[in-house]
Amino acid sequence: MAGGATTPAWLLESEAGAFPIGCSGRRRRGNALEKTLDGLAKIVRQAITSEETAARPGLLQSLDARAKLPGVVALLVAVGLVRHIPVLAGLYLFTLGLAAASRIGLWGFVKRVWLFIPVFTGVIVAPAMFSFVTPGEVVLPLGHWFGHEVGLTRQGLTSAGLIVCRVATSISLVVLLTLTTSWPGLLSALRALFVPRLLVLVLGMAYRYLFVLLDSISEMVVARRARTIAAGRNRHGARAAASFSGGALFGKAHALSEEIHQAMLARGFRGEARTLERVRLRAVDGTWLLACLVLAVLVVGGDRALGL
Amino acid sequence: MRLGSEPLLVAESLSYSYLERFAALEDVSLEVQRGERLALLGANGCGKSTLLKILAGLIFPDRGSYRAFGEEVSEPKLEDEQFSRGFRARVGFVFQNTDAQVFSPTVREEIAFGPLQLGLAPGEIEARTNDVVALLEIGDLIERAPYQLSAGQKKRVAIASVLVMNPELLLFDEPTAGLDPRSRHWLLELMSELGAAGKTIVFATHELEQLEWVADRCLVLSEAHRLLAEGTPNEILSDRELLLRANLIHEHTHQHGALLHSHPHERGHHATGTAG
Ligand SMILES: Nc1ncnc2c1ncn2[C@@H]1O[C@H](COP(=O)(O)OP(=O)(O)OP(=O)(O)O)[C@@H](O)[C@H]1O
Ligand SMILES: [Mg+2]
Repeated sequence: MAGGATTPAWLLESEAGAFPIGCSGRRRRGNALEKTLDGLAKIVRQAITSEETAARPGLLQSLDARAKLPGVVALLVAVGLVRHIPVLAGLYLFTLGLAAASRIGLWGFVKRVWLFIPVFTGVIVAPAMFSFVTPGEVVLPLGHWFGHEVGLTRQGLTSAGLIVCRVATSISLVVLLTLTTSWPGLLSALRALFVPRLLVLVLGMAYRYLFVLLDSISEMVVARRARTIAAGRNRHGARAAASFSGGALFGKAHALSEEIHQAMLARGFRGEARTLERVRLRAVDGTWLLACLVLAVLVVGGDRALGL
Repeated sequence: MRLGSEPLLVAESLSYSYLERFAALEDVSLEVQRGERLALLGANGCGKSTLLKILAGLIFPDRGSYRAFGEEVSEPKLEDEQFSRGFRARVGFVFQNTDAQVFSPTVREEIAFGPLQLGLAPGEIEARTNDVVALLEIGDLIERAPYQLSAGQKKRVAIASVLVMNPELLLFDEPTAGLDPRSRHWLLELMSELGAAGKTIVFATHELEQLEWVADRCLVLSEAHRLLAEGTPNEILSDRELLLRANLIHEHTHQHGALLHSHPHERGHHATGTAG
């Protein structure tokens, strides 16, 4: 701080000879942890920003989130109640139609949904297909075990197919909602659905500061990389760096949260959140909501009519 | 509210330390008159932000007393519904750390936050929002999210969100830091305009240029967190020895007329450098 100290002599000398600049041929893979942190920050950032697709002119984008969200919820409930694969498949095709009408690239949309499926359902679905979990008519025998025929049963396959279809359709609906709605829109929808205001406010701020912290992570990674000279080969170094960064990040988050609280107090916040009301809903929003409710009722009713 | 001739703000021997360990202010007293523009000067870490936060009623001194608008300001007092509303409506604070201040999902909601908490009518809020948005030239940012803004843009949003409440007392913590020269000039002009309109302004700064233009009076804090000097910008700026002691300038800062400027010197020319 004080300007009294003189610059040390070594700082004014060139050290060009000490670290030759040509390639030696030996490569160091970037610190895996650093890469993971930075990559994670980037992925989260991409995953939570849908501004680009939400800004396109399309069917779902033109709807107010306060109507879109309940409509999607009604369809989700219907999907949960349906027990026939063809009905679910029809609903799935319907989501594809919505995606197309909302100018979302179909291939990317399908990929996004089906990439999730194995993660969510694989563990549950795979065992259900076998005769020892779901007894019934064996359609694909795999051998004998203690005198019993073991294999994939028709009942097992059906229930597995049902789960997969249900999950795929549900995820499609949720992805459609998030891709076509801006975050502020989603927040105002939650508010309209009588989710407590303070909770919505906290959610909004958590989202907002996630970005500040993501920036901090990226900055710390870049700063550390800029200062790294010798290859940190040992695990110990990486782990120490991680805990150091984690600690610094926590300290930052804590100091930040205190200042945010002060900034809110300074502008008259007294624990009760008051927020802007959006403009009134339009006819299309009402139509959409009604259409979703009718479709949900029809689908569930039709499904029941097909029998169990 | 008792008025009369009492200054707008009266602080007596304020002391504050963080976590009861890190001293930030020691025995600082000050008075601010209605309509005055006061600059807080001091090196990094001398306690400017801390002093401003006490004046804004966000933290409370360990020792000493603080009165504003003729009323004592203390933690229990601010728990009173009416007092806290009246005080918050009168005091606007632009934080040094803009990221802490801009916390809403969109710029529009950010600007509306203060007026909403004060319970202004929706029509009034919208009219005021449109006015400050025009004043701060942030019309094209209004639906954007704060994380999509540059540091300077965030600063403008922060200032807009405070001005929209039309406070009587404006506290600015290093308002021009991080702004480009054009924006900086524009902000200083805005501050002097607000001052001319009768607002009381207290601001922390490191910038000595144009000080006499935006401030009527300066307080200098020392690195020991005490009040070192007080005077008009001219008195302070012409006291070279004082500025050096407060670490506000370094030895190679020169004054040409009213204009301060500094430039690097080659090593080993200290003796001749100070003569300029
Ligand atoms: N949250 C905190 N915890 C602990 N100590 C703190 C905290 N905030 C500030 N301090 C200490 O209090 C002192 C005064 O800090 P303050 O932020 O008021 O300085 P400042 O004059 O605003 O500095 P700058 O010009 O860098 O903004 C500093 O020495 C600082 O280290
Ligand atoms: Mg400060």
